[in-house]
Amino acid sequence: MITLALDTSTDRTSLAIFDGGRELFSGFHDGATEHGHFLPYLLKEAMKVTAEIDQVVIGMGPGPFTGLRSGISFGQAFAFARDIPWIGICSLDAIPRPDGECIVTVDARRKEVFYAHYIDGVRRGEPRVASPRSLPTGIAIIKDLTPDLSRFVEIALRGDHYRTPIYVRRPDAYPAPANVKFRAMTPLDLVVVHRIEKDSYRDDPWTMAQFKEEMGAKNRFYIVAEMGKESGQEIVGYAGATERGESCDILTLTVDERHRRLGIGRELLRRLIDWARTQQVEKVMLEVRIGNDQALPLYLDFGFVEIATRKNYYGPGKDAIIMEKVL
Amino acid sequence: MNEPLVLGIETSCDETAVGIVRGRTLLANIISSSVSEHARFGGVVPEIASRAHLESMQGVLHQALHMAGIRLKDIDGVAVTAGPGLIGALLVGTSSASAISLALDKPLYGVNHLAAHIAVDGLENGDISEPCLALLVSGGHTSLLQVNDLVRDIQPLGSTIDDAAGEAFDKIARILDLDFPGGPSIDREAKAGDPDAIAFPRGLTSGTDGEHKFDFSFSGLKTAVARYLEKTPLYVRADVAASFQEAVVDVLVAKTIEAARSTGIESVVIAGGVAANSRLREWAQKRCADAGLTLRIPKAGLCTDNGAMVAALGAYAMERGATPSDPALEALSSVGVGQILWG
Repeated sequence: MITLALDTSTDRTSLAIFDGGRELFSGFHDGATEHGHFLPYLLKEAMKVTAEIDQVVIGMGPGPFTGLRSGISFGQAFAFARDIPWIGICSLDAIPRPDGECIVTVDARRKEVFYAHYIDGVRRGEPRVASPRSLPTGIAIIKDLTPDLSRFVEIALRGDHYRTPIYVRRPDAYPAPANVKFRAMTPLDLVVVHRIEKDSYRDDPWTMAQFKEEMGAKNRFYIVAEMGKESGQEIVGYAGATERGESCDILTLTVDERHRRLGIGRELLRRLIDWARTQQVEKVMLEVRIGNDQALPLYLDFGFVEIATRKNYYGPGKDAIIMEKVL
Repeated sequence: MNEPLVLGIETSCDETAVGIVRGRTLLANIISSSVSEHARFGGVVPEIASRAHLESMQGVLHQALHMAGIRLKDIDGVAVTAGPGLIGALLVGTSSASAISLALDKPLYGVNHLAAHIAVDGLENGDISEPCLALLVSGGHTSLLQVNDLVRDIQPLGSTIDDAAGEAFDKIARILDLDFPGGPSIDREAKAGDPDAIAFPRGLTSGTDGEHKFDFSFSGLKTAVARYLEKTPLYVRADVAASFQEAVVDVLVAKTIEAARSTGIESVVIAGGVAANSRLREWAQKRCADAGLTLRIPKAGLCTDNGAMVAALGAYAMERGATPSDPALEALSSVGVGQILWG
C-alpha cells in the first residue's frame, strides 16, 4: 500500500510517500503563504521515486484557512484524478507529544491558538481555539511544532476521519448584513440600549443616568445599529467614542447577544474609526477585558495593538488590555 | 493539436464551475454558486466563497464528467483561472487543477479570467475574428480591450476608473431595495419603467475627456441616483431603475462604438456577467448595426462566470501551441489582461 501524505495546517508545507510504514520520500518547505506553490513542486519530486499511489492521507487542520484549503484541494483532486481514496485526519494528532497528559497548540493568528487536549495518547474532544492565556494551567503545553507525516498512515488506520476541513472558527470576516442600518443615537433609544447593556454586562453595566449624561456631554459620537424585522426596526447594537485632544477613545461597543457574529460590531467599529479621522486625532484608544474572546480578534483585525494592561480595571481580578491604533 | 478535449476550472469569485470542451464544442458546463449565501450581505464574502468552493469542487467535477460522458484521464489538458479574483477562492481552483495535471500527466494552462470571458464566445458563434474589440463588463471589471490574438496579445484600451458596471448595479439595487445580485433585479424592474424618465449623468463622455476617452466612471452616476432618491420621496422605482440602467448601457455602447471607429476594427464582442443584461444586448445590437459593425454576444448563460469559458481559452491555447504553465503556478488576485496565460 503506497500512501501519499500531505499537510498544510501550519506555515510548513510537507509531503511524503510511504510504502506501508516505510518512508520513500519526504520533503517540506517553510513559508506562510507558499503552500499552493510548493505542493506541486514537492509532488513532482516525490513522483520521481514512485508515481504509483494507492491512497492519499490529508491533514485537515485546524490551521490558517487559506493554506489549509490549498492542501486539501490539492490532495482531494489528486485522489479524484487517480480514482483512489483519500482520508482526512486531524493534523494536531500528528504533532509529536509526550506520553501522559498534554495540550498541543498551533498558531491560529490574531493572538490565538488552535489546541487539543490529549490524555494517554487519546484526544479528548474536538480541537478548539482560544487565547493562549486562557488555556488550562498545570498541563504540559506542546506548542508551535509541525505535524509529523510519518504518523499519518497509522492515524489514518485508527479511523478518526474528517471529510471537511477542521475550521473551528466560523467565517467572521462578515460585512454588515444588508438589513442593518446605522444612525446617530438619540435619547429616545436609551431604553432599548440600556436593556442590551444590562444583558451584555451583567456585572457592571452603565446605569441609565450614565447614558443620559453621555448623551449630553461634549465631543461625543454615539451610534446605533438597527435591524429591519417584521415588527419594524429594532436596535441590535450601539457604540460610542469621545475626542480627547490627541486621541479618540472608544467608550463602548456592544452588540446584542442574539445578533453577534454578523459583522455588526465590525461596522460599528469602522464607523467610530471613520469619525475619529474626521476629528483629526493621531490615534484611537480602547480598553478590552482580558478574556473577551469575541472583541479582541476584531480589534486586532483593525490594527489595534496592545500597549498596556491595567490590573482590576473592571473589578477585582478583571484586568483590562489597553489598545491603540495610530491613524 | 486539433480540437483538444479540455477541462476548465473556475473559482475566482462565488461560482465553483467546471466546463469541458472539445475545441469549439461545449460538452459540459456545471456551476455551483454560493450566491444565495452572500445575498444577505449585499456582496460576496471571500471566506464564505472559499469554503463553498472546497465543498463543491469534487461534486462539480464529477457532474461535469458525467454530463460530457468522458473519463477524466481522456482529457488532453487542464485549464484553470489563475487570476484576477479573490485569492483564497482562486487557490482552491489552481491547487485542484495542478493536482489533476500532475496526477494524469496532462499539460496545465493557467488562464486570465477576463480573456476567458471573451474566449467563451467561440463556443457559441465559432472562431472569433481577430483583431476584434471586446467590451468586458462584470461585477468586478469594466474594460474595453483590443484583442489581436486571443492567447498572446490583448491590449487594454480603457477601463473603469472607479466602480465596475456590475458593482454599480449592485449598489443601486441595494438603495432601491432590490435583491442582490443587482444586475438581474434591476433588469427586471426596469422593464416596467421609462428609461428617459430621469436624465442621469453619463460619466466621462464630455468630448474633453481626451485622457479618459475609453475609460468608464460610474461613481458620479451612483451619487446622482442617491441624490435623486433623497429629494424625491415619491419616486417611481421602475423609472429610476430604467433610467439608471439606460445611463450605464448608453455609456458602455457609445464608448465601444467610438473605439471601433477610432481603431478601424469592425468586429465587436461583448462579454462578462453584465452582458446578460437585456437592455445592453438590445441597444448594442441596434447601435452596432447602425455603425456597420459585427456584434457577437454569448448567450446569457455563458456570460456569467463559468468553467466552459476557461476550458474554451485552454483549447485555443493548446491549438495554437502555447507553452503549458508550471504546475506550481501562482494565483494572482490582481493582474491585467496583458497576462493571458501563466508561464
